[in-house]
Amino acid sequence: MLRLLVAEIRKLWTIWSTYVLVGILVVVDLLFGFAIAFAPGGRRGGTAGIVPHGSTQWFTNVFSVLDNSRLLALVLGVLVITGEYRHKTVTPTFLAEPRRGRVVTAKLGIGFGGGIVLGAVTMLMGLIVGLVLVALKVHSCVTYAPRVGQLVRPLSVQQGMAKAMCSAQHGVYFVASAHTMWHDWSRIAPGVVLGTGLFAIYGLGLGALLKNQVVAIVVGLGFTLVVETIIGAIWPSIGEYLPGQAATALEDAARTSFRGTDMQLLPWWGGAIMLLVYGVALAFVGTSTTLRSDIT
Amino acid sequence: MRISIDVTEIEPDMPTIQARGLTKRFGGNVLAVDHLDFDAIPGGVTGFLGPNGAGKTTTLRMLLGLVSPTSGSVRIDGTDYRHLPNPTMRVGAVLEASGFHPARTARNHLKVIATMAGIPFSRVDECLDLVGLSDTGDRRVGGFSMGMRQRLELARALLGKPDILVLDEPANGLDPQGIAWLRDFLKWYASESAGGSDSGRTVIVSSHLLSEAQLVVDDVIVLAAGRLAAQGKLQDLLGGTKRAVRVRTPDTERLVQALRVANLPASVQDGYVVCEGVAPEVVGPIMVENRIEVHEMVSSTESLESLFFELTGGEGMHPGHAAGLMGDYRQFAEGPPAPPAPPPPPSGQADR
Repeated sequence: MLRLLVAEIRKLWTIWSTYVLVGILVVVDLLFGFAIAFAPGGRRGGTAGIVPHGSTQWFTNVFSVLDNSRLLALVLGVLVITGEYRHKTVTPTFLAEPRRGRVVTAKLGIGFGGGIVLGAVTMLMGLIVGLVLVALKVHSCVTYAPRVGQLVRPLSVQQGMAKAMCSAQHGVYFVASAHTMWHDWSRIAPGVVLGTGLFAIYGLGLGALLKNQVVAIVVGLGFTLVVETIIGAIWPSIGEYLPGQAATALEDAARTSFRGTDMQLLPWWGGAIMLLVYGVALAFVGTSTTLRSDIT
Repeated sequence: MRISIDVTEIEPDMPTIQARGLTKRFGGNVLAVDHLDFDAIPGGVTGFLGPNGAGKTTTLRMLLGLVSPTSGSVRIDGTDYRHLPNPTMRVGAVLEASGFHPARTARNHLKVIATMAGIPFSRVDECLDLVGLSDTGDRRVGGFSMGMRQRLELARALLGKPDILVLDEPANGLDPQGIAWLRDFLKWYASESAGGSDSGRTVIVSSHLLSEAQLVVDDVIVLAAGRLAAQGKLQDLLGGTKRAVRVRTPDTERLVQALRVANLPASVQDGYVVCEGVAPEVVGPIMVENRIEVHEMVSSTESLESLFFELTGGEGMHPGHAAGLMGDYRQFAEGPPAPPAPPPPPSGQADR
């Protein structure tokens, strides 16, 4: 089994699509992170409805949006198995290891490992975004306006002056600090990394069942982005058991992030179990049906 | 390089490959292989012959565990391929529709399989060398020609130094030199003793190019419409069939005359003098004696073809198409031995 695992790793690092996938991940993470961070007037979220730049809630939003990269892990999982069919490398693979279940098991292991790596890269990008935000000393002032309610004023002046201006207006002053950043990052990272890894297993299961690369990617992304969202909105008690929300449940901070507040979620271990069940069950069904078919 | 081994001497040996009642039905109604029984024995090249659609590829893929038989079995030393502990070390397969990731280099392609089978990477370089791809090993397979892919496929099959080699239409995509090299290689590989046994290796080659196959195979399994049409040693099967000599000469009339004087049947076909049922050794002296100028003299190897058409009823093969294919290869197949092809001759690799 060790040989099969090493061979699967070799398969991944000897083709450029793997590096393209990681490249896309890095770009998407940085774009998402900064886009959420600098969204004008803060972001909706929490109970306050307003997220001031530099606050802990703000960092939570910046980091938890990165869990979207699990969609790329899903694609990775799909590619690991359907790529073999697309390029017909499945023939030499099954010639060298005719016990197909073992091949799929090795792929599940490598899919999980690859997903964990993608999750780790994601959170590393998150850390870079966070450090940049801390270095920029992004700050804001929340004041109370009698008619409008709470107002967030991102201040573009120098920090010292901004602080003085804020206190002059009897506002609450926020500034991005390394301590807040680290606190939020370390709270979110484990869930995102584990969720990304488990999502790769889910993608692999889909690939094993559907065998066709394009179909598996379309079904995987379409279900996660569209179908799950609809079901989650109409029947939240069903939605929480679906893969996307199960992955969200893994993040400790998800319940307080801008996306998680109106979501009904399982406990984190429940989410992990559900994802694992989805991936392994799909892969098992795929192995005993689709993958048993003749290679012609 | 032509090594002929009398396989009857090692007949007591168990056949390495045995098919019994092997049947494959696709999609419920297409009967691709129908109750096929055959044996393949070590020490020679077994030709798996039949027209397109006769079930050759399906049978070989069942042997290799890629296709599941509907009923019956095909076993390697009594074991299903799928139950061999590390099949790469026992069976090497060169398949037509086998795949390569276009972005992966040839060397990495082999390294993946070597990793799966626990074969050291030094063997990867050896195999690339053996098939003449050592200079192109680090290029991506996407840019490879059909012939190069076929060589890479052979390199992969040889990774585990298997004592059984299965090749499905290996000549496809190879140039005439490559085919000649492959022919010598297969004969050498089959005759070389494997492991502890002296009986040589088992090589199975499927082909629809009969004149080419005839130069390589020792034993023949003929398939027609998924059924066994004939099985046996090539000489035995050809025993009753006619040979013929074809001669191109400006003195057509004189040659016909001379042959008839010598009591040989002679006729003129397409500008050639055709003399059936004799060897070139008989016709040659007659021409010298009569000082007849010769532009071309060909010993016919169509006997397997005629046998084949007899057995299969010409079914599934368009005569014109078949003749065209044969014609392409006859020229080199019957001509003087091809000069050594670029890849090193296999004898240099006998380092087992």
